[in-house]
Amino acid sequence: MLNQMNVRGLLFDPYNNAYIVILRDENNSDMLPIWVGKAEASAISFALERIAPPRPMTHDLMKTLLDNMDAKVISAVITDLKENTYFAKIHLLFGDSEFTVDSRPSDAIAVALRTDAPIFASGEVLHKQNSEELERWLENLKPEDFGKSDT
Amino acid sequence: MMVPETNTLIPLKVHGVLVDPNTDTQIVVLRDEKNSEVLPIWVGTAEGTSIRLALENVIPPRPMSHDLICSFASHLGFTLNRVVITEVKNNTYFSSLILTKDSLEKTIDSRPSDAIALALRCQCPIYVTPEVLERRGGEHLDTWLAKLDQKFSEQPESE
Repeated sequence: MLNQMNVRGLLFDPYNNAYIVILRDENNSDMLPIWVGKAEASAISFALERIAPPRPMTHDLMKTLLDNMDAKVISAVITDLKENTYFAKIHLLFGDSEFTVDSRPSDAIAVALRTDAPIFASGEVLHKQNSEELERWLENLKPEDFGKSDT
Repeated sequence: MMVPETNTLIPLKVHGVLVDPNTDTQIVVLRDEKNSEVLPIWVGTAEGTSIRLALENVIPPRPMSHDLICSFASHLGFTLNRVVITEVKNNTYFSSLILTKDSLEKTIDSRPSDAIALALRCQCPIYVTPEVLERRGGEHLDTWLAKLDQKFSEQPESE
């Protein structure tokens, strides 16, 4: 079963010097935090804030390329979680055929936001995600940790 | 933007990627086949890393952004035919990707960093226009290049 997710924002994780993309389902009952690198975080943040950089960034190029090839992004799906690593797939429509391409969740989210395609997470991923550990982590968060990506 | 015919263009090879300690950016060094011309292009850390991984033929455990782009093209039956560094304005380089499928040809504007990262992964040639090579100059480039040769002998070769 797939759950549609919205990107709620980006957090900086000072302990790991990484960024966290926060996805929430539509009822706001399930949350999926995904750790991403700095470049990926800025690609997501540009799309979230609808900032057009002076020169096309890698994910803007990805969109231009798909447009030029007449391919449409149907959806991005976070499919699996193994040893703290998330896996994703991008579904494309090209002519009458559908193609599925393996991707990191960060690329899938960055491209979905640029093409207004929905983002889904499998029910399995939402279950597997260790909520206990997450809650402990969230309790330690200070208000000043919440902010937008600094890039 | 018009991309010139291939016969007027100069093919370049990626010689290596250096870290510029002064600006926290990376420099992709391109050379022509005779090793007589050098074109250094400053790129961001993420793009520099992506180019270096491709140069060293490292297959990352998970597809990086440029691997994903190549995988889009190959799934849809397109080939990256060549990339061309077409222009330099105020120290900023511009380039084009030329994609083909059967008789169809598409030209897409791109930053040189993305173009180079993709060319290495799709194993297509990289070209530069003679105008860009001429205009890249500037007086301090020669001094800078002299230092660069020294650096390359200190850093492990990436080819």
